[in-house]
Amino acid sequence: MLTLIQTLGRYTIEFIAETGRMFLFVLSTAALAVRPPYRFNNLFKQVHFIGVRSLFVIVLTAIFAGMVLALQGYYTLTRFGAEGMLGPAVALSIIRELGPVLTGLMVTGRAGSALAAELGIMRIREQVDALEVMGISSVQFLVVPRILAGLLSLPILTVIFDVIGIFGGYLIAVQLLEMSSGTYFSGIESAVVMRDISTGLIKAFCFGLIVTWICTYKGYYAKRGAEGVSQATTSAVVLSSVLILVCDYFITSVLL
Amino acid sequence: MTQPYIQEPNRIQEEALPLPIGERLLRNQCITPQQLQEALQRQAGESDPKEHLIGKTLIEMGHISHPALLECLFHQLTRERVAYQLNPSAPAIIRFDNVAKTLDGRQVLDGLNLEIPAHKITAIIGISGGGKSVTLKHMVGLMRPDRGDVWVGDQPISRLSGQKLNAVRRRFSLLFQEGALFDSLNVTDNVAFPLRETTALTEVEIRHRVETALQEVNLAGMGHKFPDELSGGMKKRAALARALVTQPEIILLDEPTAGLDPIIENAIHYLICDTYMRTRYTIVCISHAVPAIFDWCHHVVVLHRGRVLASGPSLDIRNSTDPTIKQFISGDLDGPIQVI
Ligand SMILES: Nc1ncnc2c1ncn2[C@@H]1O[C@H](COP(=O)(O)OP(=O)(O)O)[C@@H](O)[C@H]1O
Ligand SMILES: [Mg+2]
Repeated sequence: MLTLIQTLGRYTIEFIAETGRMFLFVLSTAALAVRPPYRFNNLFKQVHFIGVRSLFVIVLTAIFAGMVLALQGYYTLTRFGAEGMLGPAVALSIIRELGPVLTGLMVTGRAGSALAAELGIMRIREQVDALEVMGISSVQFLVVPRILAGLLSLPILTVIFDVIGIFGGYLIAVQLLEMSSGTYFSGIESAVVMRDISTGLIKAFCFGLIVTWICTYKGYYAKRGAEGVSQATTSAVVLSSVLILVCDYFITSVLL
Repeated sequence: MTQPYIQEPNRIQEEALPLPIGERLLRNQCITPQQLQEALQRQAGESDPKEHLIGKTLIEMGHISHPALLECLFHQLTRERVAYQLNPSAPAIIRFDNVAKTLDGRQVLDGLNLEIPAHKITAIIGISGGGKSVTLKHMVGLMRPDRGDVWVGDQPISRLSGQKLNAVRRRFSLLFQEGALFDSLNVTDNVAFPLRETTALTEVEIRHRVETALQEVNLAGMGHKFPDELSGGMKKRAALARALVTQPEIILLDEPTAGLDPIIENAIHYLICDTYMRTRYTIVCISHAVPAIFDWCHHVVVLHRGRVLASGPSLDIRNSTDPTIKQFISGDLDGPIQVI
């Protein structure tokens, strides 16, 4: 019984300490981000890595997400004789929920894991220490551009996801189910308001922070050995995926 | 080499004077006064004359061969070592004050008191896992002591952080035991990295310096390769080039010759000697190249069980009667250090 309480206590303390370290990490990153030198080259490289190289996955996911939403939505809506509402149903689900969430999850899987592994390897091979010895802040050099790139890329990727997703819905609704394209698009136009779009973008922005923050943190503090890196990568992906969904719930409930 | 001098301390002191290389070559009759004059004139004509590159100019003019120059510098180092043995006084540039450090529940440093003489070559020797690399990391503030202080000049580096720490760190360069080259950059960019990030040199000047540095470690033409395309020895030499290229005043080398063939090992010892003679920087070198390393350094520190077992002029340590040191130098299995 006593050992159970001890174990519980230890985990609780460890959890609180880890959370504290993570917040300190992101705060010091923010402080270093505004301080020169500004390394735009590094930032562009990371935007390329996190943003541009995720495009293909995002487009693929978006088109199928849009198509399945349209099929599924049509099936449900015909039961109520409301198939005219298919356009708004697809668009609102994508813009408010699926766009930012799926983009966040896909970027976690594609870029986040790579970020954690890359920084983890740099840590265990003492390349992070090498930077420090040269008098270069490793957080400023390695972490700042990656987090900024996440903040920039995710909203843009989400907008692309939204557009492609709605187009996927169009393919099913108009080409397969022979709805008129006028009905599909005018429904969207009248139903979607600015607030829906801004909610989606706020989410995307937060998810961009979560993915890059968690993944760089885990990689930066990877334990020694190959095992340390694989552990860091796994926990980075799991934790940021979970946090994206949790955070999604809270943003939705606050902004609804 | 060393014996004839023992009787004449004054002559030794005089011969060991840290003269500029040109003067030294002249005194040792490796070149004629006229040749030195020509070389100096030629340097004066250059846009950016550098006294410490006189050796290079002399080689370019064909007045002396590269091996002959290195040999001459080595003899000079030998003289200085003898002089240092007779009068081992040099101000300390790095000082460990009762430093203790526990890592993973193991007491790695246990009340370490250590002084590194300024403008000398110091070798740190000791058995593997004895805390040599950990000691080096304390010098640049990569690790912080649990107890005690590490001083660099008048700065307590173990207590500094932020900009102040970075300012002290820029006086150093460190060759990591595993090299720590950046995987994402090729050799040229790796060597150029500290110059690009921490100096205001122009790209042309940087290219020039990087080329020279790669030539010195015999890696000319390998600049386009990436670290994972290099052998262990080549990685080490590339990392050495990166450590030397910034011309810091304190150079820390963690096993620069480990895992290299005897010829390259020798070449690296000559390179360290050459660098030292040209610049008079403080050099600290962890080495397993016992006993060869004794010929290449003024001062030796023997680390054992987290403490300094002995430290002093290399000639004194070489002839020490301490059983542990003797065992370490000879490599006997039988002795105070039990490994099997
Ligand atoms: N970062 C670290 N974390 C935990 N233990 C370490 C760390 N670095 C070194 N050690 C331990 O400290 C001891 C001394 O290591 P080191 O200084 O690398 O030895 P060496 O004298 O061969 O260079 C070893 O037992 C090693 O396992
Ligand atoms: Mg070591």
